[in-house]
Amino acid sequence: MSAVLEIRNLALGYPELTLFRGLSLDVERGSTLAILGANGSGKSTFVKMLLGLMAPLSGKLSWPDGPPREIGYLAQMTEFDRRFPLRVRDLVAMGAWKGFGLAGRLDRMTSAKVASAMVAAGVDNIADRSLHTLSGGQLQRALFARVIMQDAPLILLDEPFAAVDQTTEAHLLSLIDRWQDEGRAVVLVVHDLSSVLDHCDNALLLGNGEAYHGSVDTILTPERLVAQNYLSKSQASWMFRASRDEAAHV
Amino acid sequence: MQRAFVATTVLSASVAPIGAFLVLRRLSLAGEAMAHAITPGVVIGFVVAGLSVTSLLVGGLVAGIVAAALTALLARKTILRSDASLASIYLIALAAGIFILSAAGSAVPLKSFLFGSILGIDDASMILFGGVATVTLVSFAFLLRPLIISTCDPTFFEAQAKRPLLIEQAFMLLLVLNLLAAFKTLGTLMAVGLMILPATSARYWSSTITGQLGLTFFFALASCWVGLTLSYLFPETPSGPAIVLTAGGFFLISVLLGPLGFGGRWRKPSDQTSKTLAQTSNKERRQ
Repeated sequence: MSAVLEIRNLALGYPELTLFRGLSLDVERGSTLAILGANGSGKSTFVKMLLGLMAPLSGKLSWPDGPPREIGYLAQMTEFDRRFPLRVRDLVAMGAWKGFGLAGRLDRMTSAKVASAMVAAGVDNIADRSLHTLSGGQLQRALFARVIMQDAPLILLDEPFAAVDQTTEAHLLSLIDRWQDEGRAVVLVVHDLSSVLDHCDNALLLGNGEAYHGSVDTILTPERLVAQNYLSKSQASWMFRASRDEAAHV
Repeated sequence: MQRAFVATTVLSASVAPIGAFLVLRRLSLAGEAMAHAITPGVVIGFVVAGLSVTSLLVGGLVAGIVAAALTALLARKTILRSDASLASIYLIALAAGIFILSAAGSAVPLKSFLFGSILGIDDASMILFGGVATVTLVSFAFLLRPLIISTCDPTFFEAQAKRPLLIEQAFMLLLVLNLLAAFKTLGTLMAVGLMILPATSARYWSSTITGQLGLTFFFALASCWVGLTLSYLFPETPSGPAIVLTAGGFFLISVLLGPLGFGGRWRKPSDQTSKTLAQTSNKERRQ
């Protein structure tokens, strides 16, 4: 697999606080990278850096095929205004806003893409609903449709499953799998250890001033999760015992 | 009187999109504060160069830009948030403006600055209204989509736009320009009334941005025409407050009857598409 983005010897943080240093990794096409870490470990800062909103303290980012025209992005919902007077189809169309003409008019081809993205995300049946009438899961599906509209080689998803039910999560995970099959790279910030990680190839674990990168199985070990302050000893013991018991039962 | 009707019609078209986005961007009170913050600039312009459109524009623009820059500086570099910064700046500015006006022994009564003089509009003022409306509407043709995205999902917009702050700065500049136009007709105390009240009224009726903009214009225009007519029929009634009070009347009607106000509560709960914002808010509170 070729890399969309190469990161070398990266140090990230603020002038008065270094979050981690010495990170090198390739974000490869057709792969999904999970980012985990305790609060304040640098997950959001890492995403900001990938988006170009802040510079690293040191190190190098290079795009082998040149910087992408666009990075697909789904932010946390904290600043999203659900009361804004928009319909679902308008929200989805935002993904292609850079191509809009005067006064924001959509051409026929873009309208067709919006319709297709809504079908893929399962929101075509609520295309004319106002945002304030949507459930959390419906809104998240609409935001995934907006990511589809961005048609980007690299997609950043910041805690996309924080407020969705299992059915919606499964549907959205199938979209992530589809993006992988299309050769896009997906970077996924996850808050909890869950079945979501089954859909990820690699993990980046942040915490305690360190950054560990590798395959999910090698990085997310109980010892390392405790060492990085992601889990307490008792949480790790309970979680991995339950996991072993479940495997034995199966 | 005919001039007043034409002037307020043009003014309504100009302030409607500004008011709509002030409300949607949760800047309603910031707009009010900015209206007061430009007062010293207008007053100094008047004291130095007399009561002319040029002195109003230059003085008001400089004061508006200085107030916006100081507010941003305090909010970013000190512990104060932007609302407290702007409140501090505008209170000082308003007091300074009135102090300068009184100290200069102005021949223009304070009341004219506070409430405007809509029935004494000259040719230069008409040109000001036309110019501001043209600049505003043409700018909105380009700014509309970025403004929608930056208002609805600021994090997404910041990540996608090359210069996200540019949209905010352009909007604030348009706000100051429209405040100056409204300032001439409605005065410093009433200028924002024609922006905010029609926009908040429209918010109770429409769930689309097109509807929001259209209804804001409708309520602004109707407020101006009804207010001016009342002022004409009852000569003791000052036109500025009459216009804003009429806008207030539309607001009350909207709160009571609008589908997104209390009016929505009277509909069938099974009607999913007409589920009101009030109902959504209650659900959020319960969660």
